[in-house]
Amino acid sequence: MSGSFARLIAVPLLALATGSAWSATAWTTDAAASKLTFVATQAGGEFEGRFKRFAPVIVFDPVDLAHSRFAVEIDTTTAATGETDRDNILKGQEFFAVAQWPAARFETGAFRSVGPGSFEATGRLTLRNVTRDVRLRFTFKPGADGRTAVLAGGTTVQRLDYGVGQGEWTDTQWVGNEVRIRFELHLKNTAP
Amino acid sequence: MPLRNTAENYGSLARFLHWSIVILVIVQFFLAESADELPDGLEKLRILTWHKSFGMLVLLLASARILWKLANRGRPVPAGTGLLKKAATAGHGLLYLLILLQPLSGWAMSSAANYPITFFGWFQVPALLATNHDLHERLEGVHEALFYVLVTVAAVHVAAAFYHHFFLKDDVLRRMSPFGKRQG
Repeated sequence: MSGSFARLIAVPLLALATGSAWSATAWTTDAAASKLTFVATQAGGEFEGRFKRFAPVIVFDPVDLAHSRFAVEIDTTTAATGETDRDNILKGQEFFAVAQWPAARFETGAFRSVGPGSFEATGRLTLRNVTRDVRLRFTFKPGADGRTAVLAGGTTVQRLDYGVGQGEWTDTQWVGNEVRIRFELHLKNTAP
Repeated sequence: MPLRNTAENYGSLARFLHWSIVILVIVQFFLAESADELPDGLEKLRILTWHKSFGMLVLLLASARILWKLANRGRPVPAGTGLLKKAATAGHGLLYLLILLQPLSGWAMSSAANYPITFFGWFQVPALLATNHDLHERLEGVHEALFYVLVTVAAVHVAAAFYHHFFLKDDVLRRMSPFGKRQG
């Protein structure tokens, strides 16, 4: 039996044996070790903030991009920038409006490889009930044991595309339009 | 007026630094007061941004003032003798310390709140310490308290200068006057 033939048989058998359909690995995220941050500009100076709570569904296999997908639900009520007044403005009506829209969502199933361990995904980000296409760049680094991996990357969005910053806050001289989003997910393969 | 200080007289650079710091500290007070009365919003952000840039400028000018004083040997020494002279030296030392601590405490306070500071939008200064909410609150109190100490010591400083001028009738006030030469 040749090697490639063995794999042809073995992989679907394995998929059947584990009870899953033919699919990329479903990972669970170690929430404590993972982070989702953003860098925004205030009066010409940069500052970093983060979302304390977000729920990623990560199905990813670098050699099976066709069956890979991300779906991340971000709890905008947990936006934190280290200062209560600013956090309140951010969660308030003129920015995230968490009272109406307490969650943002990112989804993608369109991946392509852009280099060894590097990928690009085109997905849709919904924030403040506005959905826009977003292109994500990330790296996928499997751990030595094959049971863990680190998924890290980011994207840049224009906050006004989503209406984040209403009224006087549309002024981009004082609050920059560009916001850099970064993530680092520590993944575990919990399948038996 | 010479640039450098002499034994009897302050040079133009020392006078410029002295008076620009005085003006900036007064401007800073009014900016802080007006920001304090505003609700959180763009106007407050604007005013505090000016306050922070001016604060960095004060720190720069205060550092220059102190370095320039140290670089000028044969600079004017406080007038008088004995205890009064000691008091004057101590008072000046305290003022130098306060014009450094006032902006430094503001810088630390902004850093603790993760508020970025730029020098008039030209470049961003690094944070002095990590984000810490409780520390921010405490530093806010320190920043405010330092201002009252500064005002008190500066009031004594001004009173002493007038005392020299009107009662002792010496050159102490004139030698730091922003305009012209000392007479006599």
